[in-house]
Amino acid sequence: MKRVTILAKVDPNICTGCKICEKVCPVYAVKVSDRKSQVSEPDCRGCANCADRCPVHAITMVKRAEPFTVGVDVSRFDPGEIKELCAKAHFNPEQVLCYCVSVRAEEVAAAILEGCDTPDKISSRTGIRTGCSIECIQPILRLLAAAGIPLKPDLNGWQWYGQTVTAWTLPQEVKNKYGSRGFYFEEDKALLEQIAAIDPAQ
Amino acid sequence: MTSQMMINQGIKHSPILPIGPKPSQYGIDPALVKKRVAELPGMCSLQLSELFPELPPVLFPGGSGALERLYEVAMEELRKVDMSFIQPNHSVNLLASHHGFTLLGGQPYAILLKATREAILEKTGCKNIRLRAGVGMRFRETEEYIKRYGLEECFGQGKTKGVAPIDEGIAIETEVGTLYGIKSVYDADWIVHCHHTDVREVHFHRQVDKAVKPFGMSYARIETRSTYHQNLGPRAANFTARAIFESEFVQNKFAFASFLNVGPHGVIGVDADNDLYAVNDRATFIGCQLYGKVMTLFGKIGECIAVLDFPCPVPYVFSAGVIYANFAGANQDLYDMEGTPLPPYTWYTEAFYKKDGTPLLGEIPPLNPAIKMCVHNYAWTGYPSAFFSDHIPTVVVGQEQSDLFDMEPMNIEYMSHSVVAKTTESAMDFAYKVTGTDKVIIFDGAMGGLNCSQSLADLLIAKAPEVSEEVEKVLMPKWFRQRGVDMSILETLSHR
Ligand code: SF4
Ligand code: SF4
Repeated sequence: MKRVTILAKVDPNICTGCKICEKVCPVYAVKVSDRKSQVSEPDCRGCANCADRCPVHAITMVKRAEPFTVGVDVSRFDPGEIKELCAKAHFNPEQVLCYCVSVRAEEVAAAILEGCDTPDKISSRTGIRTGCSIECIQPILRLLAAAGIPLKPDLNGWQWYGQTVTAWTLPQEVKNKYGSRGFYFEEDKALLEQIAAIDPAQ
Repeated sequence: MTSQMMINQGIKHSPILPIGPKPSQYGIDPALVKKRVAELPGMCSLQLSELFPELPPVLFPGGSGALERLYEVAMEELRKVDMSFIQPNHSVNLLASHHGFTLLGGQPYAILLKATREAILEKTGCKNIRLRAGVGMRFRETEEYIKRYGLEECFGQGKTKGVAPIDEGIAIETEVGTLYGIKSVYDADWIVHCHHTDVREVHFHRQVDKAVKPFGMSYARIETRSTYHQNLGPRAANFTARAIFESEFVQNKFAFASFLNVGPHGVIGVDADNDLYAVNDRATFIGCQLYGKVMTLFGKIGECIAVLDFPCPVPYVFSAGVIYANFAGANQDLYDMEGTPLPPYTWYTEAFYKKDGTPLLGEIPPLNPAIKMCVHNYAWTGYPSAFFSDHIPTVVVGQEQSDLFDMEPMNIEYMSHSVVAKTTESAMDFAYKVTGTDKVIIFDGAMGGLNCSQSLADLLIAKAPEVSEEVEKVLMPKWFRQRGVDMSILETLSHR
């Protein structure tokens, strides 16, 4: 869940139509047409990626006149299904996935159960990855993959490229090779599994 | 006056001039920072070289001419590095990270970058030398530093670039599958890793492969950084960096490492080497000795008011070379891989708090309970910091600062947990009254030591000798064993 309080505003007199803003927007809320960038106000989630990467500083973040909240009501879904999907991705349902806006695994799972089948739809619906937009991409991809949804990166954008290694897919020979250098691979995997298995209600 | 009090009086000095506020999109206008907490009555400073006399001498801070001397030392060290494979018609990317510019006013790191460029030019005749400066979460930060330290004038127009993890990426095949780097970091024949030995985020890297970290962080795309912070666990995370550095792609481009060798008290020298792992060993193990003592000493503080007063985001303000994020975890030994699987603050820990505000696992340690209140006199946005204000009572000075946090995507909720005071003085009065303590530690980047209240200074002076012994005799042997070496490694590593 996120309170969306700010909005990207383009100055068309400065914009050169380079399309960088399009490629970095996690929710596809900005589009360039006729060599000018335009923000779809209802869709913008206020992450400031476009403003911070525009090479000519054509975008500024402004306060929304009418802030709103996005989020999925987890209670509308079967807790068993949520738990199962989170467990498949090795997450505890209540663990926080997005450190900027505190979206938890259960809310992303609920968004997927609701029909979101891409990272951008999940971000738009829950607000996840619209703070720093960096750290929570892998959990989103892990949960989508756990739901059996094929991951298809946008070849024209830089939104995300692909899923990566996890504690569960680290090759054994790598663990053997580097385990004595201070990396606690097995212990950390066990810790993450312990967290995932906890019943938050207890 | 007792003899101990007289000794203390000799060690306590008047406050060190804090690092000044800096113009930045991440902080308030410097003109709005009316008062620094170090200027208030009852504050003093301690020099780290007096608390821990065994610390090696520093080049900087070191009076007038110190920066010029640093440039010369850097050139001397860099001339010893093999650059014979760089041809005059090649291209070279110097890779830098934002952290370096937050150290000791930023000039020493800027000087290292300038010297590294000059040494390459001098030794190889190669002129196509560019700067690629990576960031944490503030995508414009190094653009600001490039301007502030005149780096474009030095490298030439169009040769400097601030790069961000959402920029176009490049797939890198590694031993653990595909990871992703920032394309423009690698768009040259050679790369030179320009970094520093400052400990900074022990909660993240756990002093394992510290010198390699930027390959998995400031030079990396979001997919890689998310792998680090979400996929591997709190003590395996930094392997992401090694996986990328070990890849054939990076090895084929890697020329050498050029490091500012720093301690909590200043710049010790420059460490330049073709072998990054040699630098890494020096940074890791000598680093335990240099920073481990201050970290452990800070863990002995039983109660205090923590003041943020430095041009950096909340977790990254410095006191005696220690960042606030690590002081917030100083109730645990952050170097202890087995005793502290989850530090009180790290993102894995933050993730493991339930909706009702309690930790999922009973063993998760709280944020340092010694911090009775945080007075946020001056610190930047640009890093998700609501966890701190949610867990530590926080007073923010000035409505402008409060408004800035409310407008920032990573901190929409920071002020939901904080109160605002109109002035620095009223914030401190409030903190004194509510907490009942007169111990104050100031994170204002004071060079060479730290600013604090008289009462806290007395405590730190009293504890320093026993901490020094505990670190040397008990903690370091344990830390080293956990990292696969024993204390004899120190004899084989020398300060550069
Ligand atoms: S990044 Fe800036 S200049 Fe480029 S299209 Fe977007 S608004 Fe225009
Ligand atoms: S969601 Fe972010 S990148 Fe997209 S338009 Fe809004 S501020 Fe810009």
